[in-house]
Amino acid sequence: MTDFFANFLNPEKRLFVGYLISAAFIAIIWIRMVQKKPLANIVSGFFNSNIWFSKSAIADYKLMVFNQFFIKLLAPILVGQLALTLFVFENMHLLFSRPSTSIPVWMVMLIFTSVLFILDDFSRYLLHRLMHRIPLLWRFHKAHHSATNLTPLTVLRTHPIEAVLFSLRAVIVHSLCLGVCFFFFAGSVSLIEIFGSSMFVVIFHSLGSNLRHSHVNLSYWNWLEKIIVSPAQHQIHHSINPKHYDSNFGAILAIWDNLGDSCIVSEKNQEIKFGLKGQSEKAHNLKNLIIGS
Amino acid sequence: MFNKRFTAKAVPLTVVLTSAILISSSSFARSNVYADFPITLKDYSGSATTSVSYKGQMARHALESSLKKLISKGDVSAMQSYYSGGSADRAIIAPATKGDFVIMQSTIGELSSKNLSGKTYKGLIPGWPGNMTGPEVVAFMFEKAADAEGGYDAAHAYDYTQLVSKFLMGAVMYNQAVDNYLDEKLEADTKPNNKPYKDGAAYTGKEHVWDEAFGYFGAPSHTLTLTAQDVYNIAKQKDVTAADYNYDGKVDLYKEMAFGHAYYASSFDKGGKTTYLHDIVGAYMDGRDMLVAANATALSNSERDQLKAYAQVIKTNWEKVIAEAVFKYAGETYEDMVKIEAILESNGDVSKAWRNYSKHWGELKGFALALQVGGKDMGATSVRLNRLIGHSPLLLGNTQVTGVDSNGEYIQSNSESWGGYMAHMLKVQNLMVDEFAVVAKSHDQTAGLAALVDSLGAKSSAEND
Repeated sequence: MTDFFANFLNPEKRLFVGYLISAAFIAIIWIRMVQKKPLANIVSGFFNSNIWFSKSAIADYKLMVFNQFFIKLLAPILVGQLALTLFVFENMHLLFSRPSTSIPVWMVMLIFTSVLFILDDFSRYLLHRLMHRIPLLWRFHKAHHSATNLTPLTVLRTHPIEAVLFSLRAVIVHSLCLGVCFFFFAGSVSLIEIFGSSMFVVIFHSLGSNLRHSHVNLSYWNWLEKIIVSPAQHQIHHSINPKHYDSNFGAILAIWDNLGDSCIVSEKNQEIKFGLKGQSEKAHNLKNLIIGS
Repeated sequence: MFNKRFTAKAVPLTVVLTSAILISSSSFARSNVYADFPITLKDYSGSATTSVSYKGQMARHALESSLKKLISKGDVSAMQSYYSGGSADRAIIAPATKGDFVIMQSTIGELSSKNLSGKTYKGLIPGWPGNMTGPEVVAFMFEKAADAEGGYDAAHAYDYTQLVSKFLMGAVMYNQAVDNYLDEKLEADTKPNNKPYKDGAAYTGKEHVWDEAFGYFGAPSHTLTLTAQDVYNIAKQKDVTAADYNYDGKVDLYKEMAFGHAYYASSFDKGGKTTYLHDIVGAYMDGRDMLVAANATALSNSERDQLKAYAQVIKTNWEKVIAEAVFKYAGETYEDMVKIEAILESNGDVSKAWRNYSKHWGELKGFALALQVGGKDMGATSVRLNRLIGHSPLLLGNTQVTGVDSNGEYIQSNSESWGGYMAHMLKVQNLMVDEFAVVAKSHDQTAGLAALVDSLGAKSSAEND
C-alpha cells in the first residue's frame, strides 16, 4: 500500500497532492474568471457525487488498487535498465570519438534534461498512438477509454499490460538517453530537478495536468494548442464522437500530433461526452476492464 | 627483535569491528604484531627465541623490486642474476635509503640468498603470446626488455618494467602463497604441526607454512597497528615513523617494509571503501595465534578446518586486491586512449600519452596475468579477460600483437577499432565487478551511471493518458 500512497506523496507522480491543489486553483480561476460561473457552482461541481461515485469512477479506483499488486512484477524490468544503458554506452564507442574537452555542467544538465524530456514525450506519443492504431494494443488501452466520467484518478485507470508497455518504453528511452549523454558528457550528466523530479515534469504537472482527466475544459489559445496539449484537447481525445477519434495522442507536446495530422484544437464551450461508443454498463466491471467482455 | 611499544595509533573503526567479529568467532585473542610468536617445539635446542621466520619471502620481494629497476637498464645478465642467481652479494637496488627513510639491509644476502625462478608458476600462461610457462615468459620479457630502449618498446606499446614486475608479483608471491602454502601445505600429511618443518628448525611444519604465506603478502609485521594510509606511505618511503616500529632509526626490510600486493591493498583501502589489508593480515594473525595455541601438536580436523577458513579469507581478499588493480588499470588505459585520440585529432605529439598508455596497459596485463595464477580454474572468466585485453595494447593502425613467430618476433594482426578497444576496457571493468565484486573501483569509467539509472528508474512511471 505504500506504493499506493506514494502516488499522492511523490512529486514525480501526477497525483501528488501539491499538483492536485494547484489544479484545483487553476480550475477555480478558469471557471470563475473565464467562464464567469458563480462560486457555488464551482464548489458543487468539485464535490459532485455523481462524478466521484459514478460507476466509471469506482471502476478507476478498483483498477488502481488491482494495479498496485501487479506493478510489483515490473521490478525486474528496471533492473535491466542498467545493463541496457551500459550496452548503449559501450556501443557508442564504435560510432563516435569520446570527447576529451568538457562543457559547463549547467549546459550539460540543460541538454540532458531537455533531450530526456523530448525523447520521453515523443515516445509516449508514439506508443499511445500505437495503442490506438494496433487492434491488439487497443484491446488493452480501451480499458482507459471506457471511462465515462473523468477524474484525475482516471490516469491510473490503465490495463496492467499497458503499464508494462509504458515501463518498457521508459527503460528504452532512459537507457538510450543516458547511454548517449554519458558518452558525450560523462560525470556531468544530471537532471535539472525541482523536488527531485525533472524540471519539465514539475512545471507540466504544476500547471494543471490533472485537469486533463476532469470535466473542467480548460483550453489554451489555438496556436498554443498546436505546441502544448491543453486539458480540453485531451478531453477531445476521450470523446465518444467519431470525428474526434484517434486525435491528440500527445502527453505534453502537441507538436507530434501536429506533425502526424492528429491534432485537434479545442472549441469554445465544447460539450464532450466521454467513453466508447455503444459500451454497456458492464464495461466498468473489473473483470471486463482486465480480460475484456 | 621488537621492543614493543604501545603508541596510540588511529585504527579505523572498520578494523576494530572486523577484529571484534573475528575474535568473537575464535577462542584466541588476536595478537597485533606478526612477530615474536614463541617456540612451541619441546625438543628444540637451538638459539632462536621465536618460531617466526620468513626472511626468504622478503628477500624475494626485494629481488622483485630491484629487478623492476634493472629492467630499464637493459642488462640481461643482471636481470637473470636477480631472477635466478644465488649470490648473497646482490645489492638491494630498491627499496634503497631515501632521506631519513634509512633501509637497514643493502644486500640480498642480509635477508636470504634466494631467487625468484625456482618459485615462479610453472604452468601455461595463456594471456601471453607464445604458449609459454611462467619462467619462459619472464625469460622472454628479459630479452625483449634488453632490446628496447629503457625497457620500453613504443612500437608494440610494451612497458617491460611494469609487465615483469606485476607478473612476478602474481606468478611468484601470489601463486606460492595461495596455490601452495595456503593450499596443499595445509593438509594433514604435509608439514604437520607436531614436527619441526625440517630437522633442527625452531618452528613446526604448519607454523612455518603459515609464516611463509604471510611473508609473500608483503605487509609490515605491525600492520594491525597502522592505517592503510600509513602502510601506503611506508611503501612509498614517505613515513619513516610509521615504518620504524622498533625505533632503531632504520627500516628493516624483513619486518617493517610494505611490498607487493600488501601495498596495493593499502592503496585501495586508503580510499575508505575496503579493508582488504587488515582483513588479510588479521586472518594471518588469527591463524598464527591458533598455531601457537596448538602448541606443537598435530592439528585436529576441526583445527585444520579453522585454519583453512582463515586461509580462505586471505585468498578471497587477495584475489579481490588483484581484481581491483585490473579494474583500476583498465580505467587508466581507457583514459589514456581518450587523450591519445584527442591529441591525434589535433595533430599533436602523442609520444608522452603513448608512454602512459603503455605503462598503464603493462600494469593491467601484469595484474590480469597474476589473477590467473592463483591455482583456481577461472574458466570462462579467464578466456574473456584475455580476449578483451589481448596480447598487446591496441596499436595505431588498429592492430594488436596476436602471436610470436619462430624467431621470437611479435606477429601483429588487424584488430578492433580504437573505440572498440575502449569498449573492451569498459567490459574488463564490468567483468571485475561481476566476477570478483570489486568495491574500491578506482578509475571507474561508469561511475555515477548506476545512480543515474536508479534516479531515472524511480521516475519511469507507467502513467499514460
